[in-house]
Amino acid sequence: MTRRQFWTGIVALAVSTVLFIIPFVFIAIIAVKDKREASRMGFDWPDSWHFWSNLVEVVEARNYMLLLAYFNSTVITVGAVTVLVVLGAMVGYVLQRRDSKWNSLIWAGVMSGLMIPPAVVPTIWVLQELHLFKTIHGMILIHVAYGLSFAILLFRSFISTIPRDLDEAAIIDGAKPLQIFFRVVLPLLRPVTVTVIVVQSIAIFNDFTNALYYLPGRENVTVQLTLFNFQSQFTSQMNLLFMNILLITIPPLIVYMFFNRQIVAGMTAGAVKG
Amino acid sequence: MAQVVLKNVTKSFGAVEVIKGINLHINDGEFCVFVGPSGCGKSTLLRMISGLEDTTSGTIDIDGRDVTGEEPSKRGIAMVFQSYALYPHLSVRDNIGFGLSLAKLPKAQIKAKVEEAAEKLQLTHLLDRKPKALSGGQRQRVAIGRSIVRDPKVFLFDEPLSNLDAALRSQMRMELTDLHAELGATMIYVTHDQVEAMTMADKIVVLNAGRIEQVGSPMELYDHPASPFVAGFIGSPKMNLYDGEIARRMGCSTYGIRPEHIALGTEGPWGGTVKHIERLGADTIVHMDSPEVGQLVARIAGDRPVRIGDMFRAAPMTGKEHRF
Repeated sequence: MTRRQFWTGIVALAVSTVLFIIPFVFIAIIAVKDKREASRMGFDWPDSWHFWSNLVEVVEARNYMLLLAYFNSTVITVGAVTVLVVLGAMVGYVLQRRDSKWNSLIWAGVMSGLMIPPAVVPTIWVLQELHLFKTIHGMILIHVAYGLSFAILLFRSFISTIPRDLDEAAIIDGAKPLQIFFRVVLPLLRPVTVTVIVVQSIAIFNDFTNALYYLPGRENVTVQLTLFNFQSQFTSQMNLLFMNILLITIPPLIVYMFFNRQIVAGMTAGAVKG
Repeated sequence: MAQVVLKNVTKSFGAVEVIKGINLHINDGEFCVFVGPSGCGKSTLLRMISGLEDTTSGTIDIDGRDVTGEEPSKRGIAMVFQSYALYPHLSVRDNIGFGLSLAKLPKAQIKAKVEEAAEKLQLTHLLDRKPKALSGGQRQRVAIGRSIVRDPKVFLFDEPLSNLDAALRSQMRMELTDLHAELGATMIYVTHDQVEAMTMADKIVVLNAGRIEQVGSPMELYDHPASPFVAGFIGSPKMNLYDGEIARRMGCSTYGIRPEHIALGTEGPWGGTVKHIERLGADTIVHMDSPEVGQLVARIAGDRPVRIGDMFRAAPMTGKEHRF
């Protein structure tokens, strides 16, 4: 390592500490303070520790709303990600493998899904017409629609690295199209599937605005919306709010820590032919 | 065991016709090699026989049955790919048994068949490995094993040895020849390597630009090439071919003489200066510049002393000349 590399490394570490670690430490410190001390929003060491009492209070708030929110968010995340993976892989496979004059049109449709921002009010009209508004499965479909383009993009580029010979060998072995997909192609998509699962589940689990627009109702609450429990126009309980943030940040963080190597592998696969 | 008969087979990709009317009869149990330069349509023709590529017109019969519109899996063929095309996520055992498990055979029967094939190809100790833990030659054997278990009427090989190194390639050539003798099945083998064609084939089909140039046994093609193309393609180093004024003097439009049929010495119609020498051990290939014919290549005994700049007279052996 040269002197120059050493110092650029130090600077990069310092910048990322300021950007990522300090806010997290700030959240953790406020979360263990009592109400009065937390309201000052200082970055000082807590006078007294209230970790457990804050935690219990956050979980019990509004008749255990946080637990219901965890349940709802988990159902939405698992449901949406499952559909995204299966549909994304299938569409990506067909788009990559089958030459047809419709391909460029379909591809334009997929790309427009990435480029055109969704409009909230018309979407609500559609949901209402289909009786999907304020329902968990409606929310799942919304997330599938928003995430599908990106999933197809990733799957398609990954599938292009799987040699066509494998499909043909399976055809000669007597496999039907669905058998080729599920028994030969899908198992080979593992790296990119992990990427899609992690990226999308974190995005969906952390989603605030879509749940706010499309999923009103007390029984439909998702984790991000529980943040409203401790914030109001006149009084805010900062210690509980930050404890809540801490609690709902941890699951995605764990997922990310376990899978980050595979995410990079899945993202870059297909970029360079191996 | 089956005959393969192609009748007026053509293939077009859009406006481009890549296979231009092929008629071919491959006998039961024959080892038939399609050989030709890249882009001549040999792989396309093999893929048409396998059913992976549609036939634009004409018919393909396998074992007396017209299979032109049939699914690949219904044609009674098995194919070995250049890239081996092993399923990377499956063990060797599952790779070999994949087709059988798709056909929903009982587990015990699959196991027995897979082990029998593995035995035949000395793969028994590798059955539980994944393809990535195998060497190139072993992968090739697994790919062959996958085709054997299906008991096909016809085996198709698409340049199966081109990813192997030279030593392994010659070993696999012998193994394939042995396998052919053991199974007695009809085999169609595509290669661009005329050495593979010469050493393995019962029948060689030389293809050029979507047409058959000549069909025959290896020695027929070597001794009696029907066209300058075949003459130049079969045999290594290439036959010396001359056209224009030199050929007219010989009474033909193209005159050919193989390097091994030129005697170098003090007598002969052509003079020449040695420009380049390739020593192969047993033989030496001598490249010469000749004022009479231009470039001239001759094969001489490996122990004969020769140096760059040496002058020789070259004489073609009578009866070994080719006139087209």
